[in-house]
Amino acid sequence: MKQGNPPRWAVAFFRWFCNDHLADAVLGDLLEMYDRRRATLGKFKADLLFILNVVQFIQPFAIQKRSTTPINTFGMVSNYFKVARRNMAKNKMYTAITIGGFSVGLATCMLIFLFIKNELSYDKHYKEGARIFRLYNHFEGPDEQKWANIQPAFAGVVKEEIPEVELAARLTQMRLRPSSLVRLEDNPENSFEEMLTFADPEILEIMETPMVFGDAKKALKDPQTVVLSRRKAIQYFGDTNPIGKVLIFNDEKSRPYTVGGVIEDFSTLSHFQYDFILSLTGMEFWPGEQTSWCCWNYTTYFRLREGANPKAVEEKMLSIRDTYLVGYMTEMGSQDVEETKLYHKYKLQPVKDIWLQSEIGDPLKHGSMTYVWLFGGIAIFILLLACINFINLSTARSANRAKEVGLRKVVGSLRKYLIAQFLAESTLYSLISFAIAIALVYAALPAFNHISGRTLTIPLTEWWLFPVIVLASLFIGILAGLYPSFYLSAFKPIDVIKGKLSRASRNSALRSGMVVFQFATSIMLIIGTFVVYQQMTFLMNREVGFDKDQLMIIEGASTLGASRESFRNELLQLPEVENVSISGFIPVAGMNREGYPFFKEGRSKIDKAVGGQKWRVDPSYISTMKMKVVDGRDFNRHLASDSHAIVINQTMARQLGLKEPVGQKITNDVETWEVIGVVEDFNYTNMKNPISPLSLIIERGGETAVSVRLKSSDIAGAIQSVNTVWNKFMPNQPIRFSFLDEKFARMYDDVLRMGQIFAIFATLAIMIACLGLFALSSFMIEQRRKEISIRLVLGAPVATIFKLLTGNFLKLVLVAFVIGAPLAWYGMNQWLQNFEYRAPVTSQIFMGAGLIAISIAIVTVSYQSIKAAMTKPVENLRET
Amino acid sequence: MKGTYLGEFEELVLLTVGILYDDAYGLAIVDELEKQTGRNTMISVVHKSLVRLEEKGYLRSRMGGATETRGGREKRLYTLTAAGTKVLNQSRDMRNTMWKQVPRVVWDGGKL
Repeated sequence: MKQGNPPRWAVAFFRWFCNDHLADAVLGDLLEMYDRRRATLGKFKADLLFILNVVQFIQPFAIQKRSTTPINTFGMVSNYFKVARRNMAKNKMYTAITIGGFSVGLATCMLIFLFIKNELSYDKHYKEGARIFRLYNHFEGPDEQKWANIQPAFAGVVKEEIPEVELAARLTQMRLRPSSLVRLEDNPENSFEEMLTFADPEILEIMETPMVFGDAKKALKDPQTVVLSRRKAIQYFGDTNPIGKVLIFNDEKSRPYTVGGVIEDFSTLSHFQYDFILSLTGMEFWPGEQTSWCCWNYTTYFRLREGANPKAVEEKMLSIRDTYLVGYMTEMGSQDVEETKLYHKYKLQPVKDIWLQSEIGDPLKHGSMTYVWLFGGIAIFILLLACINFINLSTARSANRAKEVGLRKVVGSLRKYLIAQFLAESTLYSLISFAIAIALVYAALPAFNHISGRTLTIPLTEWWLFPVIVLASLFIGILAGLYPSFYLSAFKPIDVIKGKLSRASRNSALRSGMVVFQFATSIMLIIGTFVVYQQMTFLMNREVGFDKDQLMIIEGASTLGASRESFRNELLQLPEVENVSISGFIPVAGMNREGYPFFKEGRSKIDKAVGGQKWRVDPSYISTMKMKVVDGRDFNRHLASDSHAIVINQTMARQLGLKEPVGQKITNDVETWEVIGVVEDFNYTNMKNPISPLSLIIERGGETAVSVRLKSSDIAGAIQSVNTVWNKFMPNQPIRFSFLDEKFARMYDDVLRMGQIFAIFATLAIMIACLGLFALSSFMIEQRRKEISIRLVLGAPVATIFKLLTGNFLKLVLVAFVIGAPLAWYGMNQWLQNFEYRAPVTSQIFMGAGLIAISIAIVTVSYQSIKAAMTKPVENLRET
Repeated sequence: MKGTYLGEFEELVLLTVGILYDDAYGLAIVDELEKQTGRNTMISVVHKSLVRLEEKGYLRSRMGGATETRGGREKRLYTLTAAGTKVLNQSRDMRNTMWKQVPRVVWDGGKL
């Protein structure tokens, strides 16, 4: 070159965009021109013109690649698959482990995907879904609370005062919960039903229930009408149109209900599930009830007018609060007026959120966002574990593929073709695994449905299923294959063919990291399982303040009527029966409850109320439940004065500030009682909550259940005897009983479910991790066969060899433990915060989980180690 | 066939390649075009039409003739193919035929 050069960046830029066909020739031309111009125009102008020329070449003809020899793409791709197939066939164990791990991981993900999709699709089917809301209370004060029960008069006032509300309907399950008797008018045989509710007629329009018979606008208009679901209509009336037929509820012959219509069964994807909807028209549960502001018994649904702003409606409801609720409270002289004005808000919850938002107190079944997140997280982790197996095995075995890579490069393959080859291979693995995974999902679905309490199905008829599966398998294949393909394709042909690439493959730090990740995940899940089960055992065996064993509860006993005392006496005659109490207020979830504000006598206008339960019981209640009276005395059947007596629990005594409770008088502003005794605190709700104030009084009105304390060890015989007595009294009503300990355990179904889920996922995770570890260790040992043989020849004992081979892996598991244990400790402590009563997380749990992980790892690795240490050294050393 | 159509500039490039015979590469063609027609052509335009003409099969190319002024880079040297000479001939024949059909009176400046 004679004088100077054009700007280097411009040359580089040109080289970058221009295709190979023209690059050299054009650059030569441009340089020739540059030299000429530089001589005549000077360097600056020549540079500028050079850049201009370069820019002029940014045109398709210069950029497009022109291949002089077209590549036989089809032949090449089919060769990739052929080589992949041969590799799979050659290393059957590795192939089986990779595909096995992959399919288990994918099947888990698919199940979880189905579950999450199901959880997120509740209440999406309403045409006017965006306008349907449920009303709830939000107390934004110091003890924040949300609950869905509203005063009976609220809906009516809203309809008159807030024009945005198009339809409003209330629901209540008073007198119907937890179950009711149903029979036909002309047939004395009763059946138990659980899905009943009272409702305003508008509910059918709001919920957009399709009608089988009748008209949604008229079906519940008249007093004493009822609407049935299709399945119940068929059960009670067969295939005929039942409109106009009559049903009797809870044996109240004086209040017959006429069928006004039949609705389709509610979708399983609806939070709203009832079989019998009884009209609220003309209904009044006690005089003045419908217009009162005293009590919170109704769930209220709204449909707003089109275009109405829910926020504006919430604003307007504040003024209703101030006029009506605050008005009522002031009239009653309540001390909570200021607090209510400050903190109590009425809010609207969109119908589609009801299923997953379980923090608003209501008696409905809910899903849980926590589960959705937990499941989703676990799905991703399990998938990662499976991908890691693939990555680890393919990079570990890279030495076996290195020669292939080298040779392909020598005969002219570009790196990108090699990357494509390895990606194609991993995609093949993922496609096969997907096919197996679908079969696994199919097989596991019933069990999964049982545990999760859902009815999931594989959506075979959905158009998106097939494309989604293909796309997902491509995605997973590429995800798992990305690192190996870049790693493998980077080998330099010269090194590989010379044999310079060390046989004990490089990059073991990354591989170790992945093993640590797998085991840390497994250890976390094992610890989680332990903690959940420990908590479950703790809850089941904790002293709850009464004896929950051998206590039989007969429900639906209100129909006994006046004969209940003679029923009780006959039961007491039975040798198997120790004691009997008639009361539906039983210390387990789902039974009667009645809450009031309590005060010391004469202080109701001065002190703040103590919210507490008032349970209507009979004199033998405390002795039947075997509760402990810590102060004063139990009720006495023979003292007439006990009708004004009250027994309170320790919490009530403490919160009312009673130092010497016995003999003091307390009131709920309606009645006043004298405290005769204090009963030890007992758990009557889920142990997630602390015990709240409670009192027992002798009063009628709670006779919905009979508790029978059995003393026989022959439970079956005892049930038989009790049943005989029942049939004598109630020949037309089948006995329905349960045991208190079973009901008690059912309160913790969700804990048990969580434990099962943890256990399953922990098993899966450790299985996948062990598959990977097994393959990895056998590969590593294969690589070190000669080394081991030489050590053996030189006199190393088998034990030393074993230690040498397993030691490395053990270290990894220990590191995993050090990482996983604190994370698990933190996570599980968060979970335990849900419970008022929690089992301590002890070091034994961590020891146990660590030991399990380590012993599983040792067992996994030792098979190959022992095999290696026991082979005759000659066999390995003889071959070249 | 679309590919057989020959644009005016393309025809000029083909002729120039013919004139330069043994040394027809990008910059030389630019220079020769300027010399013959007085047009100052952009080098990118020339290369673009060379690529097109090669695709159409009127030209073929090889690499060769590196010089020091070019930074040691080779030239892409173009020569006419048989199809190239044929299309030039066709083009000239067509013109000649059309020339002949123009009535003499036109050239004489006669009026209607």
